[in-house]
Amino acid sequence: MESNRSFFVQLQVLTKRMVLRVVRRPLAELPNLIISAFFLFVYDGALGGVFGGSASGTPFDFANGNFINFILPVSIVSASLSGAASGIYLVEDIESGVFKRYQSMPISRWAIILAPMNVGALRVLLQAGLILLIGKFIGANPEVGNVGFFIVLSLAFIWGMGFAGYSVAAGVKSGSSQGAQAATFLFFPAIFLAPTFVPREQLKGWLETAAAYNPTTYVIEGMRSVMVQGWELDTLFRGYLSATSFAVITLTLAVISARKATEKA
Amino acid sequence: MLAVNVNNIKKTFVTKQETVEAVKDVSFQVEQGEIFGLLGPNGAGKSTTILMLTTLLSVTSGKASILGLDITTKDKEVREKIGVALQDTGIDNLLTGKELFFTTCRLWGYSKKDSEKRTLELLELVGLTEAADRRVKTYSGGMKRRLDLGLSLVHSPEILFLDEPTTGLDPGSRRVLWEEIKRLRDNGVTIILTTQYLEEADELADRLAIIDEGLVVAEGTSDELKASIGGDVITFSFENDLDLKNAKNVLYDAIEDKGQLRITVEDGAAKIPSFINDLNKNGIIVSSVSASKPTLDDVFLEVTGYRLEGSAGTDSSNELEVK
Ligand SMILES: Nc1ncnc2c1ncn2[C@@H]1O[C@H](COP(=O)(O)OP(=O)(O)OP(=O)(O)O)[C@@H](O)[C@H]1O
Ligand SMILES: [Mg+2]
Repeated sequence: MESNRSFFVQLQVLTKRMVLRVVRRPLAELPNLIISAFFLFVYDGALGGVFGGSASGTPFDFANGNFINFILPVSIVSASLSGAASGIYLVEDIESGVFKRYQSMPISRWAIILAPMNVGALRVLLQAGLILLIGKFIGANPEVGNVGFFIVLSLAFIWGMGFAGYSVAAGVKSGSSQGAQAATFLFFPAIFLAPTFVPREQLKGWLETAAAYNPTTYVIEGMRSVMVQGWELDTLFRGYLSATSFAVITLTLAVISARKATEKA
Repeated sequence: MLAVNVNNIKKTFVTKQETVEAVKDVSFQVEQGEIFGLLGPNGAGKSTTILMLTTLLSVTSGKASILGLDITTKDKEVREKIGVALQDTGIDNLLTGKELFFTTCRLWGYSKKDSEKRTLELLELVGLTEAADRRVKTYSGGMKRRLDLGLSLVHSPEILFLDEPTTGLDPGSRRVLWEEIKRLRDNGVTIILTTQYLEEADELADRLAIIDEGLVVAEGTSDELKASIGGDVITFSFENDLDLKNAKNVLYDAIEDKGQLRITVEDGAAKIPSFINDLNKNGIIVSSVSASKPTLDDVFLEVTGYRLEGSAGTDSSNELEVK
């Protein structure tokens, strides 16, 4: 029989297998989706009236009359943290011994590592896409037009891959799915030490300092710029730079740790 | 050419807390087309040996080759030739048996069409056709082991490594798997399997090595090993402890074991009458006596100094009841 062991076939087969795994336990996907939707609905309901329409003309009119536009990036950033599932998928395979089975076969180690990253990326795109759709449905309306949605999605994707890399590195290093799970705790500082509910100028004291060092801040601000203010190229650039740097660093860490994991003991 | 040639391999694990010599010195040779058994208790170093031979673990020292290919320098080539079913089976519970076979075929490089064909063949071979569309989660232990065996056969390997293929299975399922393994051997596949069951080593392995604390302590066919003990084992039971005690003075070569006396002699059955005569002359009443060929159990006791857990009832002795 003919034999085709190309890297791409292997990556595709392994990715498909992992997609099947995800699809067959859909409940595992829900929490993150719900939290993201929560930001959208609850914070819009709770704060929208204050910072949105009724604040027009006051110093609190930072949402430019549409609080959905303002809060949507937070939802999206929260949805993109679902990229962290990559590490959990990979570690599950290590724990179950599936990883070892693959190692005993002539499979590219990069295909083994990249497959969960692919699925993490798909998750980010789907969840963020879904949240964007809901957002549009309940009134989000980017200041720069619909192209704004794509900019937000692209930032979410890069940011999500950063978390994917982080979770793979943490998971492989700790060798347990708890290790990878722990990565998702980054969620809290990432979201709450940032200009989540008000712009950075309104933050006070230590929170302002923390936010300045939190890369999430720049990602959210980048997204917000197209949603609320219009084309602010330097803000947008800082957003992409921040997301990309984070992703490059964590993906490098992931590659190094995965390399170690696939070496013989 | 030898299927497997292992010369003084050794594996030392160095962890922060301790240094473990998991495999101290293991050598054995396996001819093509035979079933070779590695028999040993928990922690003997069986899995570590298998992992080294299947190129999944580095060797601390020593040399080994598979079909003449060095496992360290030619590990890629070795993987092409071997099939592996490890002890901690990595089976994806969320997929169906069919999906697992198909995925594995694709990963080995078969085209979609060939993968479909091979999947059906293998499902049939390991008797999982009926269960093909069920998720592996719902498979019994025996079915999972057969699935695992099937997955290791996807690329038609010449040499198959099976680490404890039947541990935890009931006797019926075990026998099904044995038949499967024998059939593979009859089709020319060389099989190296590990086991902690004397009966399995006895029944299945053409040749075997007993491994204990990281060392090979005996090697040969089951018959050779039994013969190496020399003669037959005669076992005497007595009515009471006093007779047992007195008998020990008469049969001074005998070993006491579980309230019985055992003695190893040439041509045991022929010598029973004279033993009984001697005992009777001393007023000792023998309640039962049996002569049997030494079992692997006896061999194990001889070479390691202890019995393998749960190994009772494996002898096929010719019992002579004296009432
Ligand atoms: N990665 C490791 N690090 C440290 N020690 C190890 C490692 N793997 C195995 N050992 C030790 O090496 C010894 C042999 O283990 P091994 O798994 O080879 O035994 P085994 O014969 O397969 O036993 P079992 O029948 O229980 O499967 C044990 O003492 C074990 O604790
Ligand atoms: Mg073992």
